[in-house]
Amino acid sequence: MRPFDYQRPARTAHAINVAASQDAGGIRVQYLAGGTILLDLMKLDVVRPSLLVDISRLEDAGLRGIDRVRGGLRFGALVTMAELAADRGVARDYPVITQSLQLGASAQLRNMASLGGNVLQRTRCSYFRDVSYRQCNKRTPGSGCAALDGHHRSHAVLGVSNACIAAYPGDWAQALIALDARIEVIGAAGGRSLRFADLHRLPGATPHVETVLAPGDLITGFFIPEGPWRRSCYVKIRDRASYAFANASAAVALVLDGDRVTDVRIGLGGVATVPWRAVTAEAVLRGHMLDEATAQRAADAEFAAASARDQNTFKVPLGKATMVRALLEAKALEIGE
Amino acid sequence: MDRVSDRGKAKLDKQQSPQVSRRHFLTASAAIGVLPAGVEIASAQQAIEPPAQLTRTITLNVNERRRAAEIDLRSTLLDVLRDKLSLTGSKMGCDHGQCGACTVHIDGKRQLACLTLSVSAEERDIVTIEGVASRERLHPMQQAFIDNDALQCGYCTPGQIMSAIACVREGHASNADEIREYMSGNLCRCAAYPNIVAAIEQAAPKMGRG
Amino acid sequence: MTRPTPPVPVPLSNMGQPVPRYQAADKVTGAQPYVADVPIANLLHARLVTSAIAKGRIVAIDDRAAALPGVVRIYTYLNAPRRIPPRHSSAGGRASDSRMPLASDMIEYGGQIVAMVVAETPEIARDAAQRLVVRYEEGPATATFDQRGATTSHPQPLARSAKQVGNFDEAYAAAPVRIDQRYSTPAQHHNTIELFSTTAVWEGDQLTLHESSRWVHNLANGIAETIGFPPEKVRVKSPFMGGSFGSRSFMMQHSGLVSLAARELGRPIKLLITRSQGYAIDTYRAETRQRVRLAAERSGNLVAFGHEGLELSSRPDNYSVAGTAHTAEMYGYGNVLTRVSLVHADRNTPGFMRSPAELPYMFALETAMDEMAIELNLDPVELRRINDTQLSPITGAPFTSRSLMKCFDQAAESFGWAKRNPVPGSMTDGDWQVGYGCAAASYPVLMQACAARIVLTPNGKARVEVAVHDVGAGAYTAMQQIAARELGLASQDVTVLLGDSRLPAGPPAGGSMTTASGGSAIFACAAKIRERFGGRMPRVREFSAAFERLNVNRIEEYTEWSPFGPAGMEAINNGRAFFPPPPPPGTTNPPRPVRFSFGANFVEVRIHRLTREIRVARITGAFEGGYIVNPRLARSQYMAGMIWGVASALHESTELDLIRARYVNDNLAEYLVAVSADIPQVDVIMVPEVDNQVNPIGVKGIGELSNVGTAAAVSNAVFHATGKRIRDLPITMDKLLTV
Repeated sequence: MRPFDYQRPARTAHAINVAASQDAGGIRVQYLAGGTILLDLMKLDVVRPSLLVDISRLEDAGLRGIDRVRGGLRFGALVTMAELAADRGVARDYPVITQSLQLGASAQLRNMASLGGNVLQRTRCSYFRDVSYRQCNKRTPGSGCAALDGHHRSHAVLGVSNACIAAYPGDWAQALIALDARIEVIGAAGGRSLRFADLHRLPGATPHVETVLAPGDLITGFFIPEGPWRRSCYVKIRDRASYAFANASAAVALVLDGDRVTDVRIGLGGVATVPWRAVTAEAVLRGHMLDEATAQRAADAEFAAASARDQNTFKVPLGKATMVRALLEAKALEIGE
Repeated sequence: MDRVSDRGKAKLDKQQSPQVSRRHFLTASAAIGVLPAGVEIASAQQAIEPPAQLTRTITLNVNERRRAAEIDLRSTLLDVLRDKLSLTGSKMGCDHGQCGACTVHIDGKRQLACLTLSVSAEERDIVTIEGVASRERLHPMQQAFIDNDALQCGYCTPGQIMSAIACVREGHASNADEIREYMSGNLCRCAAYPNIVAAIEQAAPKMGRG
Repeated sequence: MTRPTPPVPVPLSNMGQPVPRYQAADKVTGAQPYVADVPIANLLHARLVTSAIAKGRIVAIDDRAAALPGVVRIYTYLNAPRRIPPRHSSAGGRASDSRMPLASDMIEYGGQIVAMVVAETPEIARDAAQRLVVRYEEGPATATFDQRGATTSHPQPLARSAKQVGNFDEAYAAAPVRIDQRYSTPAQHHNTIELFSTTAVWEGDQLTLHESSRWVHNLANGIAETIGFPPEKVRVKSPFMGGSFGSRSFMMQHSGLVSLAARELGRPIKLLITRSQGYAIDTYRAETRQRVRLAAERSGNLVAFGHEGLELSSRPDNYSVAGTAHTAEMYGYGNVLTRVSLVHADRNTPGFMRSPAELPYMFALETAMDEMAIELNLDPVELRRINDTQLSPITGAPFTSRSLMKCFDQAAESFGWAKRNPVPGSMTDGDWQVGYGCAAASYPVLMQACAARIVLTPNGKARVEVAVHDVGAGAYTAMQQIAARELGLASQDVTVLLGDSRLPAGPPAGGSMTTASGGSAIFACAAKIRERFGGRMPRVREFSAAFERLNVNRIEEYTEWSPFGPAGMEAINNGRAFFPPPPPPGTTNPPRPVRFSFGANFVEVRIHRLTREIRVARITGAFEGGYIVNPRLARSQYMAGMIWGVASALHESTELDLIRARYVNDNLAEYLVAVSADIPQVDVIMVPEVDNQVNPIGVKGIGELSNVGTAAAVSNAVFHATGKRIRDLPITMDKLLTV
């Protein structure tokens, strides 16, 4: 870990200003919230900030609340995973959100990790995390991708490129992308809002550029439009029963009329380079009776574009099965008033 | 210029094999993409000199005592507890948030000391395994760990106990399945898991909640 | 579901008292000092840099990091202190790997030590280590089996794996029912939660090494040899260990380097090795490939057993587990033919890991037995019963005790085996397929020479000194209880000192031999103390008078107990691996009894019909172990061993990049050990058994045995649930998802 300076402002505006002013001096600034990802990667020497702006004590109320607002639900970016997971109202009305948080990481990490940091998790690809590997286009643009001919059991089959097949490792993002969430961002140029689905960028030829955020941008909040989505769930499939990254996951939100699908939202994880909205599958399902065969057809359609290599071929049948299982489990939910 | 300390250099001159080039090459860091909870701003091309202020003195509230320590800014709370405050009950098992052996309570919540920057723990209330009970009177969870033989080598035990106490206080100890799920962030390589679950079931009612 | 076993079992016949673990209060309060917790003044901190390639040479080192304020020295092969190269333990030496770090510019495996940074603080040491740039010339590396450059050998230590009885080929060919299958097991790492660390402290020419070691006499003697000092100048302190499971068995490569660096720099040095560096610093369980051939009559009577194994080792060292030596003893096969070969690749040298030979080889045998039962349409338990034997199938000698079928019957009863529908795929619970499986466990009863000292005082207190090691299994408690029993004292009045090379020498904490060896030494030493009192211990309240009659205020006795004569004790004193010599030919009439312990494991698995993840719902194990010193601690170990077996069956695998020959999941997030949620219910049955022949205290060992049978029981249960036989561990969902 390289030496760095440390500042702990109390107001968001101050934090943004610090980041912006230091930017001019060629200093590499990094916001620090829960630290669960940043400290990990700094210890590995993957990330080398020269200034940490600790945002964990920012006092602005908008960064903390879990609020029902007009037209939906809003969470501040500094709300921890555990805090949101413990909210009973959210658990009742948006089970997919609660479950995707509860099934992530461990109780300790959920107490630390902020929602804003959560969506910016970096891949678990060994070649990215271990700087002794020369090849990693994500870490060192143009250096190549060791995973292509190396070990890639955990890697993605959707959204991959010749430059990168690293999987997005998070869980909660699948719920966000399924529910058409929006995020609020403040930067040097002021505040803006964007679709969560537009936050992450496919690796393409530039896997080192993972999001559309500009230098100094700070995620301040999340907004879930519409809802409630009581017929929703998150299914996470992993090699051990807990405290493990997903081999495949599916966030599903359904509206049924009898057995007929009037609305469906599906986010997929573990199988893709970014939080993955299964629009193809949704189109297959919408307006049809939901049964296992239809769900399977939808899954087949979504994964028709999948591109697997030797060790991760299982992610195609697994990704499909996970989606089918999540759809059937959502359908089977007993929805109370 | 080669910069090895004098003694090393003396040796080196004698032993250096002729084929080896000790020419320096760039240690330039790669540009890094967008990072969690923030952004990489401007990628400096050359190595940055260490900031003038590498160390600073901080005050931590640990086990209801205010403790001052001169710390390297890069040190974690775990490093400071162990190396500066002689509180070695919290263990390092991975240093990357993967094992739970360093679990402490920060403002009443179980967190990982290895992923907490020490300077960012200022003004927080920190409780470590040393603050749970005095030797004469064990916390009910500690006693339950002994009664149920919920440990073998004991290395992960402080983290297990800190996690277990929090698990009960959070209300996540209502049945064995829930305990197992909410204790899965604490690895026990000796695999005392069923006994740990039994210990938590024993201690929970004695802690007044559960 | 059956009720959980009570945490404090009621002692049955031939069991000691279930007293709580020794010094448990220190463990639950954080007061127990592990080696990295020992406060040392004026300490320097070290950090390793390990190689980014598996084969080649170093062509340049940019060590500008040495100029960072606070960096004291960066050691590379160019300036490393001179050491004497150690020999591997299999070649009569004491090292876990014969290659000495920083010895040359050659790189022989991934993760090899290429530099050690010494600095004023750990933060500076890490920073400098990360800034150090090593440039390599890379050659093609061989990661494992079936790759270009892998070579095969049959070194002498493997002779024990080759067994031949009768005519296998003929019997196999003539049999009506045959199984011929191939199995594989992966590389695995111990991953104790305690990290590797070494602190070297010199006082004058006296070195004290604080290093977690499960064989302090090996490490102290090994360090002395490699740094060229007399053994009495080196002391190793490892009183408390954060687990072992076979790690820390022999001298690791870094210890001598740290020792000499501390001497050269004139200050104590603490080296902390990261989790990922640890994967190549010590040993690991090597991957195996196996072929099992079993032949039987229609009645189920086995007539031929063939077992061949391939094990991976490093280029220079011949580490092997030769597990067919044990599988050949398992059933009354009639004709036997077994053999193991070594395959050498560009890897660090493997070594012991819990049940080193038995876990991989019994997995293959016990899965093959299940396959044979299916072929014969027999209950798998009955197939074992038909072929159970009280005589060694190799030598014809009797087992000192063998309660295998008692274990099967008691475990089957408790588990509810009778409720199983034997048709594969026939049992379901909602969307989950349910499978039952069982397998046998066996482990040889091992022991080594051991010395012990007991000091007794008139106040009724005793101190026991013996350099065995508590890896977590409970050696402190066992030694305390054996001494208390033999001296007629209360357990709490016996203090125990372990894990220090200044104490009377003991064997490594491996092979489940600590209680047998240390306990027998204490047993013998206590007998000498009783002799002082005329052959019978006085009651504690009569101690004062008795001591007065002897005109002493303390009684101290030292004993060396060796089942293998003076050579056995000498080896232990010197910290060298000792294998008792085989009896000379022609002298084995009657043949010497064979010593094994046995158990039976039953497992219920659940597999989701769509997503195919495998979860263990419950495990039942019944084990016999001769005298059980402490049923509370014994139960914990049996339980833990079975949980290890679940992890071996379903999770644990060190993954290799086959091109770069490096470990890729070298951390606890990607190398999956079991977590609490994986283990719903574990039932332990301790089958009472008396074995008066096996050793003076009649104990047979627990820790290794408990880990042997579960993996095959899981694989057999997966077959029962799905009809799909997975012969390659670990059994992960990808193997059930892809055809």
